[in-house]
Amino acid sequence: MSGKSKAFTKEEELLLQDFSRNVSTKSSALFYGNAFIVSAIPIWLFWRIHLIDLYSSLISFVLVTIASTYLVALAYKNTKFVLKHKIAVKREDAVTREMNRKLAEDKKMSKKEKDERILWKKNEVADYEATTFSIFYNNAIFLALVILLSFYILRTFSPAANYTISIGTASGLLALLSTGTPLS
Amino acid sequence: MKYSAVLLGLAAILAIGRCEDEVNEAAHLLVSKQILNRYLVETMDIVVKYTVHNVGNSAALEVEITDNSFHPDNFAHISGELNARIDRVPPGTNVSHTVVVRPRKYGYFNFTAAEVLYRRTEDAPRMQVAVSSEPGEGLVVAFRDYDKKFSSHVIDWAAFAVMTLPSLAIPFALWYSSKSKYEKLSKSTKKH
Repeated sequence: MSGKSKAFTKEEELLLQDFSRNVSTKSSALFYGNAFIVSAIPIWLFWRIHLIDLYSSLISFVLVTIASTYLVALAYKNTKFVLKHKIAVKREDAVTREMNRKLAEDKKMSKKEKDERILWKKNEVADYEATTFSIFYNNAIFLALVILLSFYILRTFSPAANYTISIGTASGLLALLSTGTPLS
Repeated sequence: MKYSAVLLGLAAILAIGRCEDEVNEAAHLLVSKQILNRYLVETMDIVVKYTVHNVGNSAALEVEITDNSFHPDNFAHISGELNARIDRVPPGTNVSHTVVVRPRKYGYFNFTAAEVLYRRTEDAPRMQVAVSSEPGEGLVVAFRDYDKKFSSHVIDWAAFAVMTLPSLAIPFALWYSSKSKYEKLSKSTKKH
């Protein structure tokens, strides 16, 4: 019984999370880690192709990467929040079926507990899919925006200005879009 | 780069040789020295073209072009003779000679004239000395800078693709595997 009560607590926590924009420490670390990687990668392009001077731009690299990491992580969180509810609705039937099949053998389990387990699983699946899709979607848009801005729109700018403006605009736009209309 | 471009304009032919009384009977050579490259790049070929025009009335004999301006410390000699000999240049014709050198260092380099020795007539007692035109100062660009500016950056873009691929492919693959798993399940649910 102690195991079950523990599962309930966990489930309650997850259910609470389901209704808030807050994310767990684990997924927060995942978001910031990913956001940092994707914010730092464009430095390579600016160094090798735009021929930016590495040493004199060191401070702007650090500051822009920090700001961009924060903004991209914010976009991940917002997109995930919007997506999670949609995915939960979409996956409802499939998760219920999967869980019913799994729990069918367990005759002892009450109907209520089964329902709660299904709800918990549904939340987990929606969380997982929303997290992975949000990271993919935002990374793709961020990189596409950086390339578009730095190689087409700001190509005549000096490399240092190009770097700051393109990364700043791309991450800012990403964060702004994620707070706006939900994804279709 | 600007300075090397200036070299293009230095194709002007310098009139060399003394006008003497018997000018009508003798050969008269005009020699130009041209650098044919638009960009002079460290460790890449530079093509130097010497053109000898005979504007006199008689054939020039034993024409010898000597170019000592490419010191072995600064240039590697790739092909063509830096000390070329042409037996005969008929009147009203021109002969060209090409040399390929490779700069060993980058920086400014002053391209000076080549020396030409020839006999104005068959029975001329002494050789006529002449100098070619001077291409002038040119900037030899470091290979690294040239490569950065003009290469297509294929390797750089490939490296960028390799770096970005995990951040796109991994989340997509994880999402897609979960999506297809549950879509399959929901399809089979609808069938029943």
